Amino acid sequence: MRRVSFAPHIWRRYASNYHVPGWETVIGLEVHAQLKSQAKLFSGPFSGGLDDAPNTRVSPFDAAFPGTLPIVNVQCVESAVRMALALGASVQQKSTFDRKHYFYPDLPAGYQITQKYAPIALGGFLALHKSERRVRIKQLQLEQDTGKSRSEAESSYHAIDLNRAGNALVEIVSEPDMRSAEEAADYVRTLQALIRNLGVGDAQMEDGSFRCDANISVHREGQTFGTRCEIKNLNSVKSLVVAISTEVARHVETLLAGSAVMQETRGFDEMRTQTYPLRSKEDAPDYRYLPDANLPPLLIDQGFLEHMRQTMPELPDAIEARLQRQYSLSQLTAKALAGSSTGYSINGTDVQYFERAAQYGHPTSVANWLVNELRPLLQSDFASSSISPERIGLLAELVHSGEITYASGRTVLHDMVQHPSDERPADVVARLGLQKVSNASHLEELCKRCLEELPAEVEKYRTGNERVLNKMVGYVRRLSQGTAEPAAITNMLRSLLANEK
Amino acid sequence: MVAEPSSAAIRDIAVKDNICTTEWNTTCSSAMLKNFKSPYDATAVRLLRNSGARIVGKTNLDEFGMGSLNIHSIHGHVINPHDVAERRSTGGSSGGSAAAVASGMCFAALGTDTGGSIRLPASYCGIYGLKPSYGLVSRHGVVAYADSLDCVGVLAASAQNVHEVFGIISQHDYHDPSSASTGRRDRVRDLLQQRFANSFGTSLHGLRVGVPQEYFPAELSPAIAHSTRIVLSRMQRLGATIVPMSLPSTPYALSAYYVIASAEASSNLARYDGVRYGAYVPPDATTDVTRAAHIYALTRTQNFGAEVRKRILLGTYALTAEAFDNYFLQAQRVRKRIIDDFDGAFALPNVRRVVEEEDTLLATSPSVDILVHPSAIRTAPKLDEDSGRLDAYVQDVLTVPASLAGLPALSVPAGTGDDGWPVGVSLVGQWGSDELLLEVAEVLDKHVSSSQPDEPHR
Repeated sequence: MRRVSFAPHIWRRYASNYHVPGWETVIGLEVHAQLKSQAKLFSGPFSGGLDDAPNTRVSPFDAAFPGTLPIVNVQCVESAVRMALALGASVQQKSTFDRKHYFYPDLPAGYQITQKYAPIALGGFLALHKSERRVRIKQLQLEQDTGKSRSEAESSYHAIDLNRAGNALVEIVSEPDMRSAEEAADYVRTLQALIRNLGVGDAQMEDGSFRCDANISVHREGQTFGTRCEIKNLNSVKSLVVAISTEVARHVETLLAGSAVMQETRGFDEMRTQTYPLRSKEDAPDYRYLPDANLPPLLIDQGFLEHMRQTMPELPDAIEARLQRQYSLSQLTAKALAGSSTGYSINGTDVQYFERAAQYGHPTSVANWLVNELRPLLQSDFASSSISPERIGLLAELVHSGEITYASGRTVLHDMVQHPSDERPADVVARLGLQKVSNASHLEELCKRCLEELPAEVEKYRTGNERVLNKMVGYVRRLSQGTAEPAAITNMLRSLLANEK
Repeated sequence: MVAEPSSAAIRDIAVKDNICTTEWNTTCSSAMLKNFKSPYDATAVRLLRNSGARIVGKTNLDEFGMGSLNIHSIHGHVINPHDVAERRSTGGSSGGSAAAVASGMCFAALGTDTGGSIRLPASYCGIYGLKPSYGLVSRHGVVAYADSLDCVGVLAASAQNVHEVFGIISQHDYHDPSSASTGRRDRVRDLLQQRFANSFGTSLHGLRVGVPQEYFPAELSPAIAHSTRIVLSRMQRLGATIVPMSLPSTPYALSAYYVIASAEASSNLARYDGVRYGAYVPPDATTDVTRAAHIYALTRTQNFGAEVRKRILLGTYALTAEAFDNYFLQAQRVRKRIIDDFDGAFALPNVRRVVEEEDTLLATSPSVDILVHPSAIRTAPKLDEDSGRLDAYVQDVLTVPASLAGLPALSVPAGTGDDGWPVGVSLVGQWGSDELLLEVAEVLDKHVSSSQPDEPHR
């Protein structure tokens, strides 16, 4: 799928301007998350991956061959139940399947099996990570994915790929509890982290394993909710934020102009950063929902639920609490490692990586090096880097124990990222000559050289300009190639300058 | 007339053309599937092949099983072999299967029965036809008309032959989510054994037979009522107790059936859109090509026959948001009442219902083991009359209640009417009592072949 990068000025404009004083925004999200499984929701043994050649992961059922019947895949039910439990939702003892009808080439049966009348779970909430808000969950339902259709350029033909047809999705419907685009983005990231931690899905918006529709309305503060519009198929967090912001602006402008917002379904044009109408309420399709007569009700008993509860992996909130307790990490660092604020961690692998690295270095230092130094270089989860947890742990310890400076540590880290090897961090330090300038006479030498080479700055300092000292400290650090510590340089410079008086 | 098989191992079986076979196309008598060849065998076909049976061919039907006269077919009408010169209907929709059996072309034939499609042709052709309990025979590989009603069953020249084939295909099947579990099958067998410790042999002693008054409507031909009474009197003489009774919800069954069957059909037939099946009809200049549905409409209009189109439209309407409550949900409520009626009538509990309900169901009286009623309101109509009239639906009054309730129903030959054409009588039992129906029919069979003329039951 195409990744869209917004021009920075557009991004800045919308990221900062989405709140209009005097108005309140109300947002509800519908998320479709693909469940990872060997088989599709109602058919085995295929489940389509992104790398498969078109139409190679298709059973007769997926292609709606006459005479084929659906068989529920228990693994998908388990995944949905785990998600429901993680969201504190009430798993229904009995849920049922219904057919939603519409004609489209990527929907071979002419209907999608979903859970309209009795979904698998009701209620629950998702606690956002950047605010205190708990977004209530309305329901979770299991349903089939469709195939993919693509219009060939300059051709009247559609290309159909049924690999995805019949894959299991869980639809998570929130209540309209979010009040800004930022909260919506927070909701998405938090939910993604949860899904990955549970190991039930990849939750990647870019590859379509996590898809999002947003319901948006605005109203003047203190008044009742306005008319809502639904924006379909938002395929990145940035799209979500920009689409909500532009839509909010559109609603406010419409209302200020004395017009009414029409209830409708809209699309989002990423290139033009604006939403456009898809269909009005009057054109809303009648899906002719029909209880599926083939599939018996899905019955979930207490024993099954209890088993699911006992085999649940540790969830982000619990992991964060444990990291803070066990390793004395700050909440912010713990969140970053648990993946709930970044969305990078898949199945808690970042936490596992940290815990292994922390065996070799001071935990708070290790966590800091991972979150603040390694992450910006990788832009992905730690395990996907070529650096072993042991090397990071040892590096963090070299800095923490004062053997090398923080700046030298960065140099070593960059070297480790650029040259994958098993070389011990201490050996990298030696190879790059980054041992700390601990020798006082060497430091004095460098500082004296600084005073000679920067006479103008020395003069300014003497006339009472204390700030110029920073420039001189930086100069000495460069002379030492980062091996001298700023505090030591400052002390040395002050004493030299005082002696010269 | 029917060839006696020389060896139990090899039986010639004909298969209705809405049941998938890897040999031959599976057309459903529709232009839409004219060239469709299934990549797999239906479970019933596979079980028969595994038992040593030989599938000898595919049989004509009303398109997708929709019809009562076997006149809605791209392969043409099926002519009743009882007297070809008279050009009478075999009934439908399993008309081809009935004709193949009645003319001695095979040992037995597979049919499907959604609202009477096995029992009516069996009645018109003078043979035996069993619509089993819903869920006993796998629907895997059966091209769906209405999933909650469709049953695969057997047509043959004797109850014994039906019994033999039914015994082979009545198996739990993982590939059919509505297939009855072995546990449920065992349970109903145990209950039947408690009720009848010994098999009947040559008498029907202890059997309680209900005669529901609602199954003798004004349209019923007097000769058919007469034939039914003769069967009842024969049963009585064999030791059975005849119990007149009422199933009050019966008159509502027909409307409920057509709403439910059509609604499910409109859904099941949505897949035939010209993209994968059917002779694709390309859009022309006047077609609005902005929606896929508009393009599909061309193919669907041309490739579906009139009766199928009618039912798709009816079913589509019944499922629209505005009609759903008044049509579909109302029909579901009627269906529930019909099941209640039957459960109140039978001595045997309905094992498809949850356990706690059973005690109360057992206590209801007067309870019976089977119900007996005419299979059809008349003998086979001539092909040139009647086609497309509402009569074709009125006929279904007698057969759709058992379909809605998922109950086993066996049509047995019961002599001939005033015109010399076959008459059928239906035996209906509680869910899972298929074997009981077949045993009763076998006892009647033996009796007929060894005894004097009967007096009608009064």
